[in-house]
Amino acid sequence: MDQRSQDIDLQQEAGAKFHRGSALSIFKNDRREDWMALLCAMAIVIGVYFTVS
Amino acid sequence: MVYTQRHPALLIMGLVMLGIGVSTTLGWQDELIKYLAIEKLTSEMTSLPYVFGGIAVVVGLWHLLGRHVEGNLDYYLSTIAGATFILLIAMLIRWYLDPWVAVLSKALGPVMGDKYLHDVLGLNYVVLGIIAGILVVNVFQVPRWAENGIRLSRLGLKTGVVLLGVLYSAAELRQLGGLSIIMIGFFVLGSVGLTLWMGARRNIPNSMGGVLAAGMGVCGVSATVASAPVVQAKSLEIAYTIGTILLWGVACMFLFPVVGHFFHMGPVQFGAWAGTGILNSAQVAGAALAFQPNGIETLKVAEIFNITRVLILPIIVLWLAVWYVKREEDAPGVNVGRVVIEKFPVFVLGFLLMFALSSTGIFAPAQHYQGAYFDNNVKPEKLLKPEAVATLQAEVGKVQRDDQRAALGRLIDNRKLMSPDDDDVLRGVVNAKLLSKDANGVLKEAHKAVRHTAKKIAAFRDWITWLFAFGLVGLGMQITIASIRQAGGEPLVIGGVVGTLKAVLSLIVVLLFVHETI
Repeated sequence: MDQRSQDIDLQQEAGAKFHRGSALSIFKNDRREDWMALLCAMAIVIGVYFTVS
Repeated sequence: MVYTQRHPALLIMGLVMLGIGVSTTLGWQDELIKYLAIEKLTSEMTSLPYVFGGIAVVVGLWHLLGRHVEGNLDYYLSTIAGATFILLIAMLIRWYLDPWVAVLSKALGPVMGDKYLHDVLGLNYVVLGIIAGILVVNVFQVPRWAENGIRLSRLGLKTGVVLLGVLYSAAELRQLGGLSIIMIGFFVLGSVGLTLWMGARRNIPNSMGGVLAAGMGVCGVSATVASAPVVQAKSLEIAYTIGTILLWGVACMFLFPVVGHFFHMGPVQFGAWAGTGILNSAQVAGAALAFQPNGIETLKVAEIFNITRVLILPIIVLWLAVWYVKREEDAPGVNVGRVVIEKFPVFVLGFLLMFALSSTGIFAPAQHYQGAYFDNNVKPEKLLKPEAVATLQAEVGKVQRDDQRAALGRLIDNRKLMSPDDDDVLRGVVNAKLLSKDANGVLKEAHKAVRHTAKKIAAFRDWITWLFAFGLVGLGMQITIASIRQAGGEPLVIGGVVGTLKAVLSLIVVLLFVHETI
């Protein structure tokens, strides 16, 4: 996990135990989650653009 | 560590979703759909349950009967159970609970202008989703098989925020009045700055200060949700901010019209004040209609100010992103530029990219606002029928104001609305109930013929709704009663101070500088 991520605190607060990701995310760090969000959004945009007339 | 739980829950949830889809397709829910007035949702009720129910059944069988070995397949497929759990709750809220609350609220009649109790209290799928999540975690606890998948909720929110950019366009911003841009710019930026400053003085976490600043400065729920991932806000902080904004808005809705009449404000003055001082869009409209129930001038001005505020959102998101990174990393010897590049939330750029794409007009005519636009190139069959024109002609005498008579005359002559201004003026006639029910019906028909919603934007709105519902139910599941006690009432105090200051200062500015023309 990214040691500078604020999720470290959240993980301790939530008391969850995940050896991957953090208490708030299944991804290794925030930036990877950002890229995934961007990819998902782009997929939706392309899908809507070509399927909705 | 093996994440997948050998449990039938996912399979059962998949079957429930398929049950919803099949019963809707076969018409077994027709009476319920009619009672809840959700006919427009039937297309998604007959598509989403099949897609996600099918996935849940297939993966659910694997969860129950498959051999689970530590690795990526186990890790990622185990999230389907939690994600489906959230999605099923979101479906129940959007299709059943939210419409039911609206039905009950409408049965009580309008409570403020033409607004119902659920509009006034902001009881929509956003608030209901968070409440549902809080109830799940505090009353029943999150089941172990769902724990991993619930961590996908923030991804859903971030994806929704990126897509949010398509709802706005630069062309709309350019069309707004100069006064609204100056006033809103000053008060939005001032509120954000003041909240951040007070948050720092009172030692609340940067994430809480950041999300509260966006909520108090811009437009409530959308701004809160959009800025939350930027400042790494915790679930509780998001819920706190939304609660503060809605409570503040409810108080304002009742107080603003009273104060407005006390100071003998005109429609332009009151619209400018309400659009600046009240945070939630529905509550702005409610206050404007309460101030002037028999016309639309106040509402129109308030909407202009409200839209201006919403359109400043991209600037605020960018500001908060840079502010948060600097605050978190602002230690001696730290290269701020490098840190910004390393830590800047990439999805914010996606939001700005969507805003830019939307401004080019590739999803809808460039002058659209949230997908709606005026176009009176209507097909001949959409022109008013001769009998409808006769209905209007018979009642022209009931309209006294010159601008309203002129707009009505142009509609009668051309059998369609000729400009957005005519459309706005005649909406005022409908609101004022000057004409008979039949004539008002004709005016509404004429309005519908020229006001269009871009289908692509409508599709994006549906996606955004679902992504936010998914994300907020999941975030609600991370709010425990213990964490609420721990947080205390500091955000409410800061929100109240900033909101009051903004309302009072904008009132003074409006009384001093705003006259009855913009």
